[in-house]
Amino acid sequence: MDQRSFVIGNLLLRNPDNATALETTLQGLKLQALARVTICITGADLDPWLNDQPAHQWTTFTMKEHDILHFKKRKKGLRAYVAVQGGFDVPEVLGSRSTFVRGRIGSILRGGGSLRICTFDSEVPENILTLPQEYRPDFNRIDPIRLLMGPQEDYFTPRGIATLLNSTYRISPQSDRQACRTDGPTIEIAKGPGIISDPIPLGGVQVPGDGKPIILLRDAQVTGGYAKIATLARVDMDRLGQMIPGDEIRFRRISRETAIDLLMEEERRFEEVRGLLKAKAHISCLRVREERIT
Amino acid sequence: MDEKYPIIKPVGEDSILVEYEAEVSPEINLKARQLAFGLEQGSFPGLKEVISTYRAVMVYFEPFRADVDTVQGFIKQVNANLVEIELPAPRLFRIPTAYGGTHGPDLNRVAEHTGLAPDEVIRFFSAQAYLVYFLGFICGLAYMGGVPEALDVPRLSSPRASVPGGSVGFSGPQANILPVDSPSGFNYIGRTFVTMYDPHEFPPTLIRPGDYIQCQAVSDQEARLAGERHLGEFIESFQGN
Repeated sequence: MDQRSFVIGNLLLRNPDNATALETTLQGLKLQALARVTICITGADLDPWLNDQPAHQWTTFTMKEHDILHFKKRKKGLRAYVAVQGGFDVPEVLGSRSTFVRGRIGSILRGGGSLRICTFDSEVPENILTLPQEYRPDFNRIDPIRLLMGPQEDYFTPRGIATLLNSTYRISPQSDRQACRTDGPTIEIAKGPGIISDPIPLGGVQVPGDGKPIILLRDAQVTGGYAKIATLARVDMDRLGQMIPGDEIRFRRISRETAIDLLMEEERRFEEVRGLLKAKAHISCLRVREERIT
Repeated sequence: MDEKYPIIKPVGEDSILVEYEAEVSPEINLKARQLAFGLEQGSFPGLKEVISTYRAVMVYFEPFRADVDTVQGFIKQVNANLVEIELPAPRLFRIPTAYGGTHGPDLNRVAEHTGLAPDEVIRFFSAQAYLVYFLGFICGLAYMGGVPEALDVPRLSSPRASVPGGSVGFSGPQANILPVDSPSGFNYIGRTFVTMYDPHEFPPTLIRPGDYIQCQAVSDQEARLAGERHLGEFIESFQGN
């Protein structure tokens, strides 16, 4: 749900970008290391503790055999990621190791279960890598979520569109990985709300008969029959994935060109992080060697 | 032919929606399927996925590898030669289905609404092969159409929270077989035990848009036995309704 945080955890561990990590929501996850393992926690601040000490976030560290990692309390954001060096070893289905419960793909971690870790290059030194503060997402942002209008904004009155863009909505407790439901002013519908069922883009904002926008997220259905007033800008998807029921949300329309520029800027920053971590890893490697020599 | 169509509109940063005439009919759906097939066959650098529905096609691409104007140009080019695109021959999936009883919680409701006897409902519904307009929603759900008018029954006023996978149902002209347990407001009159969706196979369902499905009435025992066979064993060539 927050892909950037997920990938950064893997980058810090020098894993492939999409090595399997755990996503945990709110609080309560407790993990015990059955062997020595290097891990990294990214994403939301769920107050992680390593045994009786607060654990680092956005930083790699080692858990020794029997160490316990515990997420005690949600502080900021909604979902944290636990990446391990090598990645978790779960079966690949349709070219992915993701979990999609309704599609019977992958599984949710149950109490008492254990996870294996893929073998990794043990030559990689266990030096600590940290993501500099300025590259970490800001979970206190309150600026509007950006939208590209369409594909069916003509199903709504100009007043309905103005309502969407000028109101404050609240994320409803009925939200899940499939859709973010909202409570707030009713959007006036010109025709419909039904359309002949058609494809749903990632981040599509559909408005059913009650006039409350529903934003379709990463586990959304691929087709549907409600008119879609707008589509979320891709750069704001991860941010929405970290918002919790009760959070306030406002929308702002941007052009397709602006959305592409923002996406490119995002990509550039990501490459910067990649370069930075690569350079750091390199320096640390040298240092390790020097120590061995002396 | 309506000059207004197809309507081509960019959606988000990385997709383009193509809409043909706003109706649910085999003729318009054929255009959507032909366009989708033509785009997939032609392909272009950065193409990610093509999804066809009743009358629309969505083209997903990588925004840094393909630009929206080039993709639109490609869509127009394929659309200009639509009639020449030959689709794979349609196949008929004849799926053994047990009707009524615990498998068909809405059979009596449908009978009451239509004034038909439950047996007649089953006979009318199972005699027809239904066109698969597209695969969508979740897990490759086949959107079928062509249910006889005598069986015109609206959706339930409030959808059921969970209907078992394999349930066979309809509403208005539309029909479906749920691939997995799902909420639904359709009228379910039967159930098949044949696995319609298996994520551990590729593709996870053998059914393609343009195929036909007939939900053949069999006994409960036969339906359960059929559940041990692979979906591929129920394919026949389609000879027309």
